[in-house]
Amino acid sequence: MPHLTYLEAIRQGIWEEMERDRSVFLLGEDIGSYGGAFNVTAGMLEKFGEDRVIDTPISESAIVGAAIGAALMGMRPVAEMQFMDFISCGFDQIVNMAAKIHYRWGAAVPMVIRGPSGAGVHGGPFHSQSNEMWFVHVPGLKVVAPSTAYDAKGLIKASIRDHNPVIFYEHKYLYRRIKEDVPEQDFVVPLGKAAVRREGADIALITYGAMVWTALEAADMLANEGISLEVVDLRTLLPYDERCVLSSVRKCSKVMLLHEDTRIGGLAGEIAALIAEKAFDDLDGPIVRVTAPDTPVPFSPPLEEYYLPNVQKIADAARQLAAY
Amino acid sequence: MAEAQSTKSQNKIPAPDAQTLERMLYYLKLTREAETRIEQVLYRQGKIVGGVYVGRGQEAIGVGSAIQLLDGDVVLPSHRDFSSFLIRGFSLREIFCNWMARSNGPCRGRDNTLHIGDMSRGVIPIISHLGDTCPVACGVGMVLKWRQSGNVALVHFGEGTSSRGDVHEAMNMAAVMKLPVIFICNNNAYAYSTPTEKQYAIKDLDVRGAAYGMPGVKVDGNDVLAVYSTIGKALERARSGQGPSFVECKTFRMTGHSAHDSAEYVPKELFEQWKKKDPILRLQKVLLAQNVMNKKQIDILDGEIRKQVDEAIAGAEASPFPAGAEALQAVYCDADCWWKNTPLE
Amino acid sequence: MPTNVVMPQMGESVAEGTIIKWLKKPGDHVERDEPLFEITTDKVDAEIPSPAEGILAKILASENETVAVNTVVAIIDGQGAPESAKAVPETSTVAVKPMPKATSTKPRAESSPAATAPPRAPVQAGEKLRSSPLVRRIAREHNVDLSLIRGTGLGGRISKKDVIKFLEGRTPAIAEIPAAKPAASQKPAPSYEPVIPFSGPTHVAAMSPQRRLVAEHMIASKRTSAHVTTVFEVDMTRVVNTREQMAGEFERTRGLKLTYTPFIARAAVEAIKQFPIFNSSVEGTNIVYKQAINLGIAVALETGLIVPVIKNAGEKDFAGMARAVQDLASRARSKHLNVDEVQEGTFTITNPGVFGSLFGTPIINQPQVAILGAGVIEKRPVIRDDAIAIRSMAYLMLTFDHRVIDGAVADQFMAYLKNRLETWQEPVL
Repeated sequence: MPHLTYLEAIRQGIWEEMERDRSVFLLGEDIGSYGGAFNVTAGMLEKFGEDRVIDTPISESAIVGAAIGAALMGMRPVAEMQFMDFISCGFDQIVNMAAKIHYRWGAAVPMVIRGPSGAGVHGGPFHSQSNEMWFVHVPGLKVVAPSTAYDAKGLIKASIRDHNPVIFYEHKYLYRRIKEDVPEQDFVVPLGKAAVRREGADIALITYGAMVWTALEAADMLANEGISLEVVDLRTLLPYDERCVLSSVRKCSKVMLLHEDTRIGGLAGEIAALIAEKAFDDLDGPIVRVTAPDTPVPFSPPLEEYYLPNVQKIADAARQLAAY
Repeated sequence: MAEAQSTKSQNKIPAPDAQTLERMLYYLKLTREAETRIEQVLYRQGKIVGGVYVGRGQEAIGVGSAIQLLDGDVVLPSHRDFSSFLIRGFSLREIFCNWMARSNGPCRGRDNTLHIGDMSRGVIPIISHLGDTCPVACGVGMVLKWRQSGNVALVHFGEGTSSRGDVHEAMNMAAVMKLPVIFICNNNAYAYSTPTEKQYAIKDLDVRGAAYGMPGVKVDGNDVLAVYSTIGKALERARSGQGPSFVECKTFRMTGHSAHDSAEYVPKELFEQWKKKDPILRLQKVLLAQNVMNKKQIDILDGEIRKQVDEAIAGAEASPFPAGAEALQAVYCDADCWWKNTPLE
Repeated sequence: MPTNVVMPQMGESVAEGTIIKWLKKPGDHVERDEPLFEITTDKVDAEIPSPAEGILAKILASENETVAVNTVVAIIDGQGAPESAKAVPETSTVAVKPMPKATSTKPRAESSPAATAPPRAPVQAGEKLRSSPLVRRIAREHNVDLSLIRGTGLGGRISKKDVIKFLEGRTPAIAEIPAAKPAASQKPAPSYEPVIPFSGPTHVAAMSPQRRLVAEHMIASKRTSAHVTTVFEVDMTRVVNTREQMAGEFERTRGLKLTYTPFIARAAVEAIKQFPIFNSSVEGTNIVYKQAINLGIAVALETGLIVPVIKNAGEKDFAGMARAVQDLASRARSKHLNVDEVQEGTFTITNPGVFGSLFGTPIINQPQVAILGAGVIEKRPVIRDDAIAIRSMAYLMLTFDHRVIDGAVADQFMAYLKNRLETWQEPVL
């Protein structure tokens, strides 16, 4: 089985879908001969030609709008945002045009908008954001955030095959840092299904994206202290896997929510509300959140380090919760 | 679509034949009658709720352009292009059902006015964020270009909308990629209450075509024959792979922005002036002069149109409202698609 | 058919309009679309055309009067003029105010002033007892007095571990019982000890666990609630006709058999929305109103009775209800129900009519407060307009808990239900 990085797994997933289905094509800035700012689309132009790997002007709104038009015509466009920070320039097309067409007049809009997000690489306020919640609040969209190479391949393939607009958040910190065996044959990871990354008994730790790895590291450390964490990786943020969340909460009776996104309006708040509504009688302690603070993502390494959740912050919160 | 593909000539578009002239008069009059009922009768009776936007005085732009479209072409009309929907095959009853929020309108009560679309009829509707359809037209154009079918995408927007970034992004992209897209600006002099001198600092918008690298022309938007020939040239260019065009149609909005806007800000003389240029009367005069139709035939046509509109309204009024809980359906498109599995009527 | 003339909404933000002038007098004949009155709003002045042809029967808002949009300002008595869909008459059922929401149960000790106590047991009177929702639930289910437990959590809080440890050490008898409801499964099924034993030969068979549970549940319900049953006779002709007309189309478009159950279920759900007390339960001295209507549908199986639950039935339209009924019933029969699909019902419907029963007096499914039963639908001679007519009739019966529901309320509920079925209007497709 080939040993692939997270980035290579995404490339392979897109590659396979383009080979499998003529209606899949790519558009974005610098994705052709340059191969994309992070090299995700390297080699695609040579393989699939310039009709299917389209370099566009710097026009995020037109990129998204054109993807919508092509999707309406029966294609399955995959649009790249060079950084997910720039998705704000195409926001209107995504939330008002793409998300609502099927509800309004019944036409399918099968398209993927993908790109790198997240901090930890000293990218500063405009190359580090985790802005997934802008879209989790929009009915009609699906929002996906893989944490492993295997999932990255299986989820990009499922996203391309989905009949709805999917916003696909790749974590740039993981691009070349994780590597694992990924099957060469065709497989998908279904949207809307979470994964339990580590079984545990005392605290259900629910998270997604790069924070899954931080959570697993914290779980290792706490196991030595006799605190058993169950780590749930949401994988799809909209629609998220309510059943998996609740079953881990019921099992552990205590719950901690972790994300790299800022606190107010983050997914942790939404899931905390779900748990309070549907599993109140199963709680043996308060619902605890570990998130970034409500500030822009700062640039200087000490500032960024202070800003991001880490093993220490998780462990501190978990010890308190375990003792509650 | 019965029209034959136009000839290869580069600058002369053959004049429309008698049958096309009659159809144009029919669609102009039908549009006028239907919109008048919507704005001045049904809305005031409380039978239409929400916003009401019509294109009185501007009917020639939709008619003169959509009448030339072929199977496989796609039109993205503005809210003032009622006729485009009729010409692309939406029935009057379907359209009235949508205005009256019925469950068997094309939107099944989920969206209002002319926000109605159907890919099988080649119609993609606006959203209220006008201008968003311009980039969408580029995506349509990309696919049409790959297919090499000679088909085009035709997108309408107003002069107010032309100030939006999406329009600029789309015109630039279409020119760079040489897409078969025709950008039609229905310049009706007012964007809600804002006159053109507060909208842009140039006299005419047609010069913008050159700025992006595409032909830019202006035309009397109240002369359906002029619209026909100007759009015809742009269509021929696009169909033969030469890329996009920009057409500014000069017209005038003979109403307020919407039915609740009495347009006090428009000088009365302007209405008087433009009334003389009414596109329906102008075409009617041509038809009489050329003996395509006589006065009696036109009277019969008027009566027929009133009858058609009466029947469509009665049909819409007899149609059901959607059940409240249907609001939850079809947020997503899935294998068990609600739109497909819930046939109309 | 009279047509209501309403104040139109001339602009999305406009809330009211003023009538400047009536162009017709009561008694005048008006054409459809003929100018009827003039209005002014803060956006526009307009002449309003008549929505229908007929005689202007009544003017309800006079000149210079300002009324909210959609207010009926006049009535036109039409001669065959179609009634506008907006002019549906307001329902005139008896309005019952929903009862105020009960506050959630709190342990008694919490009413006293808070104090942070170090872990020790038992908790002294006047001290705050700290636990969690989960601990309180376990205590409720196992009949545990939390003040007897020593808390080891922060500030002496009783944790899940503490209460489980306490339960394990309480008495050997209870600790041995594995099931979640030890108090119930420990006891034999209730039975009557005869004074004079039967002297002939007998055959003894042990009750199946399911039978035993049903037996306990039934007796417990009778002991708990003050059962009263009211019976209404309902003319089902309209429902029967609708079903007969639509069955083929329904099956073709929805892939479902059209049965009577979704009609009754939809009517019941609407009745519950009018009378929320029927969607409640009794906890101590509180009435707990449930927001979601989770409708239990009793299904008779060879092995006994099972009640699958349609969750959030209040949000389902007719087709959705029909689909849920069929799905749950067929999976109940094939034994493919999930555990959570037979739990958390808030109201139950039972249908003894399928076996020919005219009516019965069903037992309430605890902790609910009412159960609706439907007898057989059959053609009976009835009196209509002083003549004998043949109509499809059925008895509907409601058993309710008189502890919290009075007869008058139950009968209003049933009258609403009856009216809804007799004048069935909801589209089934």
